[in-house]
Amino acid sequence: MDLTTIETLHPLEIKVLLALAQKDAPQTDSDLVQSTGLEPSQISMALGWLQTKSLVRLESETVIPIVSLTEVGFRYLQESSPPEWILRQIEEAHHRHVRLTVQALQTQSPFPPNALSRAIGLLKKEGSVQLAPGGSLEATGLPSSLCQQLRAVLQQLGESSRPLEAFPPAIQSLIKLYAVKRGNTNEPFRIEDRTIRAYLLTDQGRTLAEHVHAMPKEEVSQLTPEMLKDGSWRNYRFRKYTITLRPPRLAIGRRHPYREFLDVVKIKLISMGFQEMRGPLVETEFWNMDALFMPQFHPARAIHDVYFVKHPTHATSSPEPFLSRVAAVHEHGGETGSRGWRYRYDKSRAQRLILRSQGTAVSARTLASNPRIPGKYFSIARCFRYDQVDATHATDFFQVEGIVLGEDIHFRTLLGLLQLFATEMAQAQEIRVFPAYFPFTEPSVELHVRHPKLGWMELGGAGLFRPEVTIPLGVHVPVIAWGLGLDRMAMVALGIHDIRDLFTADLEAIRTMRGQFP
Amino acid sequence: MPTISFSHADLQTLLGRSASLPDIEAWLPLVKGELKDYLSSTGELRVELQDSNRPDLWCVEGIARQIRIALTNTPPVYPFWSTKGRIKRRVLVLPETESVRPYIAACGAVGYQVTEAGLTQLIQTQEKLAEIFGRKRQTVSIGIYRLSPLAFPLTYGLVKPTEVRFTPLGFSEKMTLEEILAVHPKGVEYGHILSGHEKFPLFWDKEGQILSFPPIINSRDIGEVRVGDTDLLLEVTGTDLRMVLLTLNILATNLADRGASIEPVDVVYPYATEVGTIVRTPFNIARPQRVRASEIERALGMALGTEAIEAALRSYGHHVKATRHTLSVTPPPYRDDLMHAVDVAEDVAISRGYDAFQPLMPTQFTVGALSQIEQLSDQIRTLMIGFGFQEIFSNILMARDELIERMRLTESEHEAVVEVANPLSLSYACLRSAILPCLLRVEATSPRAFYPHKLFEIGEVASPDPRAELGSETKTHLALLLASATANFSEIHAVLDVLLYYLLKTYRLEPIVHPSYLEGRVGQIVYEGQAIGVIGELHPEVLEAWQITMPIAAVELHCDKLISPA
Repeated sequence: MDLTTIETLHPLEIKVLLALAQKDAPQTDSDLVQSTGLEPSQISMALGWLQTKSLVRLESETVIPIVSLTEVGFRYLQESSPPEWILRQIEEAHHRHVRLTVQALQTQSPFPPNALSRAIGLLKKEGSVQLAPGGSLEATGLPSSLCQQLRAVLQQLGESSRPLEAFPPAIQSLIKLYAVKRGNTNEPFRIEDRTIRAYLLTDQGRTLAEHVHAMPKEEVSQLTPEMLKDGSWRNYRFRKYTITLRPPRLAIGRRHPYREFLDVVKIKLISMGFQEMRGPLVETEFWNMDALFMPQFHPARAIHDVYFVKHPTHATSSPEPFLSRVAAVHEHGGETGSRGWRYRYDKSRAQRLILRSQGTAVSARTLASNPRIPGKYFSIARCFRYDQVDATHATDFFQVEGIVLGEDIHFRTLLGLLQLFATEMAQAQEIRVFPAYFPFTEPSVELHVRHPKLGWMELGGAGLFRPEVTIPLGVHVPVIAWGLGLDRMAMVALGIHDIRDLFTADLEAIRTMRGQFP
Repeated sequence: MPTISFSHADLQTLLGRSASLPDIEAWLPLVKGELKDYLSSTGELRVELQDSNRPDLWCVEGIARQIRIALTNTPPVYPFWSTKGRIKRRVLVLPETESVRPYIAACGAVGYQVTEAGLTQLIQTQEKLAEIFGRKRQTVSIGIYRLSPLAFPLTYGLVKPTEVRFTPLGFSEKMTLEEILAVHPKGVEYGHILSGHEKFPLFWDKEGQILSFPPIINSRDIGEVRVGDTDLLLEVTGTDLRMVLLTLNILATNLADRGASIEPVDVVYPYATEVGTIVRTPFNIARPQRVRASEIERALGMALGTEAIEAALRSYGHHVKATRHTLSVTPPPYRDDLMHAVDVAEDVAISRGYDAFQPLMPTQFTVGALSQIEQLSDQIRTLMIGFGFQEIFSNILMARDELIERMRLTESEHEAVVEVANPLSLSYACLRSAILPCLLRVEATSPRAFYPHKLFEIGEVASPDPRAELGSETKTHLALLLASATANFSEIHAVLDVLLYYLLKTYRLEPIVHPSYLEGRVGQIVYEGQAIGVIGELHPEVLEAWQITMPIAAVELHCDKLISPA
């Protein structure tokens, strides 16, 4: 048989099973209440479960009269029954040397007249009371078996109701005499038919009970520190769990998934020998554009392309000596060998404060701060674009950018670097490079890679900084400028279709967002 | 960057050969073009041109020309740059014009019967050049007229706004210039270019016929070109002479490529210009540029040799004279973008094809490193995650109200924020000065996410400082927040305490009064005698302002101040 059933048994079931196994005879609910000490409701619950599991069967159902106390009965039990009351009245009268007539008794009686007269009749009949001449009642001195029998029955039934047949025949008649009948509800006993069910273990139940019996240990659900301290855990069995249920949900401490992605990028760049550079969120037009050889009339510098700062509008000091050199380069090329943009450069405009619109501004500042040569730098810079916010445009976003300075820098090492980025950042083996245009680089390159999942995609742009950018900032070696567009890869990895969701304020979305990054 | 459309057939006509779509895609790198769209039903192609310094490529004629040169290795020869002798057509410029829109260039284009495709392209080119290259007509605008009704010489001068009347394109009645600026759509759109001037530019002929009101609108009578017209006058006005000349050169070359014969015009100025007082247009602005072959080789990382460089430049349209080590490069007159030898180098690379260059790995050794503040940020993030806090990552442009009013602050000097002068939306009008408002935005959005909420964000803020060079300083802050039915000071204090313990910082708290927090439950975090942040239980009015119905205890910490000066 399948003994694993044992493991699923509830402690109540085990108690009832073992109680039933103690006797070969069928047992009723009330037998089991007595033998287990459980509540009747617990017994019936356990019996129900055991029957469903075919461990217990209903052996018999018999209808028997059951006697119980009525409210009147309980009053008799606590105070006195009519015969007892009568005898006490007679005794008191006797002590006071008073004659007690039936009439006097009737006036004092708390009982209905018929109950009183029946009691007088029965007492007279058994001979414990007699009617003296003159109509007064007297005790004969004989003990009243009626009173004794009634008291005994009241006390027994006060504990619990019983089958009528449990009483001797003489008492049964007495009970019937004092039982509630139609038309007379003022009686101490009630006789009702009740179905008594008796249960027996099935063969399966008996076998199981033997096994349960063979397990001496009580089952518990939780191992406690006390059990471990006193070693009592050895006396217990530990209830087995249904381990296939879903666990409760946890909110854990966790990196933001998009930050996690940028962390991977950051670590990759450091591993390739890049040093982090930082720059201010609020920039001057000088560092954001002028130093990058974007002429002041450049279309991307209009009021509708960058965010201007309301107050203060201009930086307090001018970035000399760079300002004059950059001004010369814009106007006529300065010392760079360039012919320049050929316009009047407005130095005051250079100080105008804006929100950084491109990460290249950070590179420009690095070039001007005596960078290492050879040197590699990167920044993951928050930038701001003057765009209506929608599914593909964020108001502020991150640009991953950087520079490489060195004597060995030229167009082919630029292509080599891009190939490295393709494998490191996009696991792409194939790359395509196209001519591109940026105001600050020449030659300029657009990098397309074949991403293992996304297919051909644009990964970034790069180029060699124009001498008009590097020389005024004091750098006299070639410099690669590169920028990577990684948001699309991040969005695909995170299953996001709207760029705004990278910075969502919805905690549930943040908690559930996940992705696998290389 | 302009995106233009043209028909596949027109491109093939201009190329003088058939070209499949893959052919075209393979050639587009020559013009830094990207095929955006191809409508097989109409044969229309949409191409984006990247190079903002090559307006000659913003048209199908220019694209076809560049490809044709590469395919045939022979730059086309245009005779009209060097027309000698007397010519009969002249434009007389009046003296005061210099103060408003000083330059004009013009030429005739005859013998080409305007086709449907040709007209569409002409209009598109005119629009792209004037809008993008000409900065919305500010520096350059273009007029095209029927040549035959015109009586030369033409005059370019200034008139008073109410002095003359003519019928502008798109209208049927005569209007004064003032009325045109007030009523005509183009007047409304471009009128600002002339604001502040008492007199406006006008272009008329010997008979007094008005050609146009530059840079606003042409006359309907002469300035409306139709399919079938054969003789045209092209005119460009503007504020930058080189740009005006270049624009006319591009238009003239385009029409020449379609079969027109270009007839120069002499522009006679009463004032000096960079190129003299009588300027025969189209005017060749290109000048030879000397570059050393070694410069090109150095930039490209390849010992190509002078001959290969010369060949590459020729098949890209340049006129080249080479000696052993140097090259004299003259770009075609429709280009004005060679500023430095690196521009020549790029043309060599494009001409040879980027694929012809073998990538080479940079080999010089460098050491990778994070900035000090980023290292500290990472350390803090690791600890915060260990405490069970979810990291938040926010946009940092916010509404003023989120940073000030909702935090129960009033804008005093030290609580000011960096505000954008030209916001697109009030929701993104200020740079955050603290991070806690970002976390509260998450709380306000997420009442249905199960509690407790333990959030943190570390990142940049702009902290206004009148003494700072930029009026503000970019700082790194940490904000953390606990939101739950039982969130309280001691719970968040425990987190702060253990955080600073592991950061090896000894701190103390000083009770302060802060409008964002409940009085008596807020403290200033002091480290080495400096206030480095605030900790407390948020004021119920702050929570109400954010419509948050959960108690919150929070910290805002200035991470930069934890870094000891080296």
